[in-house]
Amino acid sequence: MNSLRKITSFRSSNTLLVFIALIIIFSLFTPNRIFINVRNISALGKLFPDLGIIALGVGMLMICGEFDLSVGSILPFCSFVFAQLLFVGMSPLVSFLLSIVVGLALGFVNGFITVKTKMPSFITTLGTLWFWRGVLYVWSKMMPVSIRTYVPNNTPFQFAMAGNITPYFPIQVLWFGIFAVALGIILHYHRFGNWVYATGDNRDAARAMGIKTDLVKIICFMVVGALCGFSACMQAVRLGSFAATQGVGFEFRAISACVVGGVSLRGGIGSMIGIVLGAITIPIIDNGLILMRVPVFAISAFIGLATILFVLLNTYIERKMR
Amino acid sequence: MTMETSQNDDMVKMIDIHKWFGRVYAVRGVDFNLKRGETLGLLGDNGAGKSTLIKILSGYHVADKGEIFFDGKKVTIRSPRDARKLGIETVYQEQALAPNLSISRNIFMGREPVKGLGLLDKKLMDEESMQALRDMGLRLRSPDLPVVTLSGGERQGVAIARAIHFKAKCVILDEPTVALSVKEVNEVLEFIRQIKREGISSIFISHNLYHVYEIAERFVVMARGRKMTDVKKEDVTLDDLSELVIKSALVE
Repeated sequence: MNSLRKITSFRSSNTLLVFIALIIIFSLFTPNRIFINVRNISALGKLFPDLGIIALGVGMLMICGEFDLSVGSILPFCSFVFAQLLFVGMSPLVSFLLSIVVGLALGFVNGFITVKTKMPSFITTLGTLWFWRGVLYVWSKMMPVSIRTYVPNNTPFQFAMAGNITPYFPIQVLWFGIFAVALGIILHYHRFGNWVYATGDNRDAARAMGIKTDLVKIICFMVVGALCGFSACMQAVRLGSFAATQGVGFEFRAISACVVGGVSLRGGIGSMIGIVLGAITIPIIDNGLILMRVPVFAISAFIGLATILFVLLNTYIERKMR
Repeated sequence: MTMETSQNDDMVKMIDIHKWFGRVYAVRGVDFNLKRGETLGLLGDNGAGKSTLIKILSGYHVADKGEIFFDGKKVTIRSPRDARKLGIETVYQEQALAPNLSISRNIFMGREPVKGLGLLDKKLMDEESMQALRDMGLRLRSPDLPVVTLSGGERQGVAIARAIHFKAKCVILDEPTVALSVKEVNEVLEFIRQIKREGISSIFISHNLYHVYEIAERFVVMARGRKMTDVKKEDVTLDDLSELVIKSALVE
């Protein structure tokens, strides 16, 4: 009981309540209760991990006290690298691994610039967001390319990236779960997690206690980069193609997911359970509203509202706690 | 008290320390020493250079010129990490603890005991933190409480317990009594006495002469980046000391 309480700290239990409320509301009010239809849930499970996996890393980075706005460019960049490597004849697995390496490298660049210049990462990654997008647009000439012939259906690699384990259980959900558990263990039960929290909560204290805060930050940026690389390949295989506009807007959706999940914008506060709930809540809002026939363009208004309301709620509870 | 007068009487010896920040000459050739087991009061007005001097010792700043000897050996301290490795612990106002982390996670911050694969030994962390706090007479409900929920005095207690637990040789207390209630100040002064009882050298930096005078055995007064006075407690009254601080600030 005690450990359960610790895991679902005050903040994430809000998210859990809202999460359950949303599910009930959408289940009741979508036409023909289509929201809880197994096909809908399955489709949701196929789609949400694209953003969800990235949000897990972004959450850890935010706990560490930094932002990454460049994920919306790193993702299509890695996707393009993946496609190009397939074209030059590399196997899907090697291309996939190299794309993750590229993600790691781009994450390293973000982290390195941020800690060396001591600029807010909001600015440095805003810079890399535009920069890599520009490079990508020029390099790819913005032409969508099909990779279907290089990663045919029913091959082991295609299955591992975009298959169904059972007819209604997409493998993407499994990947999301694996990353969530792994990062959750690191964040809450590993010494590195303690360094992440300490760095985000009070960088000077962490430094005085001998934690290499710059290195911790760079590693967190690299985790985000690697997850972008992974997600990029997963998405490309599912779609069977690369498109330069993949991942546009992911940066803010990932931050929204984390904020909804109770991660503090100032760093030092947040939990993996909260981030997971946030990463599922945002696509559920999307999905439920679409099913309720809310015009697509109005949906971002709801996500905006949700983000602000959650921050208000969390600040209120935080103040009561003190 | 009978003092062993060996050559190695000093825990810390800083010789001719200089530090510039751009065009500001913050520390202007200061010699400073701290004896084994001694509690030293470091006094001076804002901008006197005492904080800078101490941050050179704790690795936050690197001196532009000067030598540091620690425990009889010449050392170079380039980062807080270097300082901590030597056994120099800092108990700074805002720099000591991470407010949203739990007590035990704060005590073991950067030195977490692990079971293998880097996984935290939470049980050990909790038990030892509570023991360390009990040793100082601090009884807190749970090692899982975030530090932000503690009182100011308790927070200083956690930071000091950490220093004692990790067998620091020299503890730097930077304004540990600032913004505390009278009751909390007494608590903190009691914690500092505990440091002394453990035989650990400490440097107590404060604006409040009354707090320092109660505890320290020797006083160093700084002004304008220079050491103005170095006096033992038995040679000075509180009034003298207060006058010395004021006069030092007005010189030049």
